[in-house]
Amino acid sequence: MKRQTGGCCGLCWLWSSLSSTIGQKIVMALTGLALCGFLLVHLGGNLLLYVGEQKYNDYAHALHAQGALLLVAEIGLFAMFVIHIGLAFRTSFANAAARPIAYAMRQSKQDPGPLAQPPSGVMLATGIVVLVFLLVHLSDFKFFSVTRATGLRHQSVPADAAPFARAVGVLQDPISALVYFAGSLVLAYHVLHGFASAFQTLGLRHPKYTPLVKTLSLVFAIVVGVGFASFPFWAWTFR
Amino acid sequence: MSDTLNLTLKVWRQASPSAPGEFKTYKVYDISTHMSFLEMLDVLNEDLISKGEEPIAFDHDCREGICGSCSLMINGQAHGPDRTTTTCQLHMRRFRSGDMIVIEPWRARAFPVIRDLVVDRSAFDRIMTAGGYVSVNTGNAVDGNAVLVPKQNADKAFASATCIGCGACVAACKNASAMLFVSAKVSQFALLPQGQPERSQRVEAMVAKMDEEGFGGCTNTNECEAACPAGITVDNIARLNREYIRATLTAE
Ligand code: HEM
Ligand code: FES
Repeated sequence: MKRQTGGCCGLCWLWSSLSSTIGQKIVMALTGLALCGFLLVHLGGNLLLYVGEQKYNDYAHALHAQGALLLVAEIGLFAMFVIHIGLAFRTSFANAAARPIAYAMRQSKQDPGPLAQPPSGVMLATGIVVLVFLLVHLSDFKFFSVTRATGLRHQSVPADAAPFARAVGVLQDPISALVYFAGSLVLAYHVLHGFASAFQTLGLRHPKYTPLVKTLSLVFAIVVGVGFASFPFWAWTFR
Repeated sequence: MSDTLNLTLKVWRQASPSAPGEFKTYKVYDISTHMSFLEMLDVLNEDLISKGEEPIAFDHDCREGICGSCSLMINGQAHGPDRTTTTCQLHMRRFRSGDMIVIEPWRARAFPVIRDLVVDRSAFDRIMTAGGYVSVNTGNAVDGNAVLVPKQNADKAFASATCIGCGACVAACKNASAMLFVSAKVSQFALLPQGQPERSQRVEAMVAKMDEEGFGGCTNTNECEAACPAGITVDNIARLNREYIRATLTAE
């Protein structure tokens, strides 16, 4: 096979490798795992809601005081999402095109697992729900003042509310609460397959470690699902 | 329990690659439960021929589960309901009298239908031609023990080499991906010393060919493993990914 070397920027060989079906999945796995890391940090920060109003506000202010560092992190995070989502649609369309004529009848030959619908079969669907969740979430917090200024939502939350009061106020909005609650559970379902799947995509499979990765995947999904879904639940029942 | 079955078959009929196909319904009577699935189709074809109708085209050769010629989606499952069993080894005792059985060809862009239930699997041959071999100089055969192979590697390579290239993995995958096939073929050489000289160029060329032929990508649903009549596992797919990453990063 002719390898592309030299020419362009010196990384054409990498670009061409990452453009194959395997390469695209590798990038999805890496961005997916990076997003998993972000989820943990994000969950950790927000669990401070339960520690106390002061602690949460301090954390939020400290975070926003990072300035340039925060901006770099946000751009990186944004890039992870764009790449992951872009490749999600791209590979899903390519995969659908690989079978132009559908079967009249379809039955799995795998042993039925505990879940009626294994998460691996609905990754695009769960991903799209997560995307909607993400957009609502950004409109609630990142673009709070813009959203509020439209006069459509969050009128009951003061424009200059402190982070804690704002979080509680937003979580008490019925639309946000519903989207966050359902979105968190769907996200958990996405990472239940995604986390373990990324290891397989990266070729990390071993009789000693793969069972552990599967256990960690389940634990991670439960922590993320229960953790994030608890916020709207808490805002409605205890606040 | 009676030893014969009466069945209704819904079979995909398509006269040529470009002709529009359709399902036709046939009835077969007094099928022995000891018959294989293909023998049951033989009975139907004898009946069709005696009536002056076109017999149903389907692929087969060895009829003992080793050649990989037979195919068929049987009630939506590649090679029918049994694990690690080819259609030619599937027995009619797996069915009940009165059953309706839907029979379709493998469906994939890379496996176009030639006629009825026969599909063109030459895409697999072209992937093999791209790199699924070991180059050796002609001359005297080398001494059997000149190259040492650890027993466990020999066993693993042998397990990968049991792939019969039938295409059930592609047929069963929701993405019509050929990853299980390619991973088995890459693995059987990557595990052996004889495969080392061409290790990187092999995986790169075979993956490039696989993509070019129009197969889909792997989403780790593991349906291929369950459908494989030769028991090829997705361990091979992880190894293929590893080989691919290794070649990308290190090959010159
Ligand atoms: C915080 C958000 C998200 C996280 C943590 C996440 C995580 C992951 C991980 C770890 C994988 C596994 C990659 C692999 O199998 O190699 C994955 C796959 C995938 N994700 Fe996401 N993802 C997120 C958001 C999204 C969004 C918004 C979409 C789409 C609109 C999406 C669509 C997909 C698809 C289609 C796959 C491929 C599934 C497959 O190959 O079976 N994801 N995700
Ligand atoms: S006919 Fe040879 S494997 Fe079935």
